[in-house]
Amino acid sequence: MLATYGERQPQEVPETVDSLELAWLIHQIEQRYGKTFDADDDVLARMTTVTGVTEVLAELGYGAGAAA
Amino acid sequence: MVPAGINIPTDPEWVDEVLLAGPADQVCLVLDGPVDRATLRRLVAERQAVLTGAGLRAGGSVALCLPPSPAFITNLLAAWRTGARAVLLDHRLTAFEVDQALDRLAPQFLVSVASSSGGALRAFQDVREAVTVRPDGQPSDTPHALIQLSSGSTGPSKSIGRTASDLIAELDRYLKIDGVPRGGERIVSLASMVHVLGLVGGLLYGLHAGVQLVLPERMTAEAILAAVAAGPEPTTLLGVPFHIELLAAVADPPRLPQLTGMTTGGELVRAQVHDAFVDRYGIRLGNMYGMTELGVIATDLFGVNRPAVTPAPGMTIREQDGEIHIAMENSPYVGLVDPARWSDGWLHTKDAGSVDATTGLVRVKGRRDSQVSIGGLKVDLSEVEHTLAGLPGVTGAVVVFGKAIEAYVMLEEPADLDRVQGQLTERVAAYKRPRAWHVVDRLPRTATGKLVRDQSVLATERKEQTRP
Repeated sequence: MLATYGERQPQEVPETVDSLELAWLIHQIEQRYGKTFDADDDVLARMTTVTGVTEVLAELGYGAGAAA
Repeated sequence: MVPAGINIPTDPEWVDEVLLAGPADQVCLVLDGPVDRATLRRLVAERQAVLTGAGLRAGGSVALCLPPSPAFITNLLAAWRTGARAVLLDHRLTAFEVDQALDRLAPQFLVSVASSSGGALRAFQDVREAVTVRPDGQPSDTPHALIQLSSGSTGPSKSIGRTASDLIAELDRYLKIDGVPRGGERIVSLASMVHVLGLVGGLLYGLHAGVQLVLPERMTAEAILAAVAAGPEPTTLLGVPFHIELLAAVADPPRLPQLTGMTTGGELVRAQVHDAFVDRYGIRLGNMYGMTELGVIATDLFGVNRPAVTPAPGMTIREQDGEIHIAMENSPYVGLVDPARWSDGWLHTKDAGSVDATTGLVRVKGRRDSQVSIGGLKVDLSEVEHTLAGLPGVTGAVVVFGKAIEAYVMLEEPADLDRVQGQLTERVAAYKRPRAWHVVDRLPRTATGKLVRDQSVLATERKEQTRP
């Protein structure tokens, strides 16, 4: 999903996630799953790496591998 | 005892006359909730009492290191209303970078965050601020009301000063540009108010023209569109190219009859993103060319001259050896003189470009130095490279920008990469840091020994070195 921002290949996505990418990712999650991504600031604060994003999404019951 | 400074040429009453005047019950800001002018005037007066109580005087100097917040707005206006010079330090700078800036600019006071609520994706924060007296600080030694830092702490002339008259002149330019929102309308601003576009084009222009400035609760597509939908007045979105991409990706946006247009500063978005946005929202998508030194310079607010822009009223622009120069009476740079950036009444923008002799339209074709734009924030790659190359254990470094900032480094011990990254984290703000790291045995050089920054050469060299 992150790769769709800036027309990148999945392997070109760095491990860290900046705030623009996070906004992009949340939008993609909301569109894919058709519901509002409701997470508080503490959860969002963990979503600064691809690993962190993957963990959060797994905890919230989203599909595996969504972040890449 | 704080020494009295020189007189600031523009009477501090400009804040009341140009920014705060207007009907008491007119809502001028919407952050968490609506703020009317009477409330804003009271909040600014309260902050002014705190700052003057701490010793700030006309001609004094104060640095603000605050995120977008009600505290940022009230402290800035209170400093100006006192007649003091305000230095803006991006809240994302590291402690190391803030200390460097404070050493260089020597403000008498620092207003920074004591505690704040709000985290990732917040368009603004709720801040409790702390005022620190800096005993070695100096009063303002220039007539400027505003000092902003351009990226790049390595070279000279990177502190940019603007007088109150400069700011008022920019507000006047905005009033004269066709397509800029008028009194009674709304701006939903996605551009950070601590930088020139969001500061002057959003906050100060809104206050001056009676345009309500609205910040979304969060920087998500849903929250941005909700902020537009929240009021019936004609509404313009103000942001950077990323926001166009984000909003263009909304598959089925709600009908927003009040949304009349979107204006962005910075580089142009790709044509297909532009077309997708216009198709989806059916509104004008405008572009502005501006710089911290001058504010808005040229615009194409209806998207009819894309990719060219029309000089804003009062701006004289010429092309000199392929570089855009702009007439500017005085150098905006504080401190050292750098004729490569300003000379003989002309600002040298370092932007490559051309001016059409017949139409006067300006084409901007990218930077002639190492500055890049990361989500609308300017980053000087040479600053990052210089800092990285100076770290212990680093024997060579090249920092380039492709789809993100990338670093090619030579290390004394390749296993030291984590430590080097950690040290850079202490010295350089997150948005400036490399997102991809490549440890190499050697960096390619030209025949004359200069480091090569061509990314295809760097990538090829890296692959050859990793080949067994």
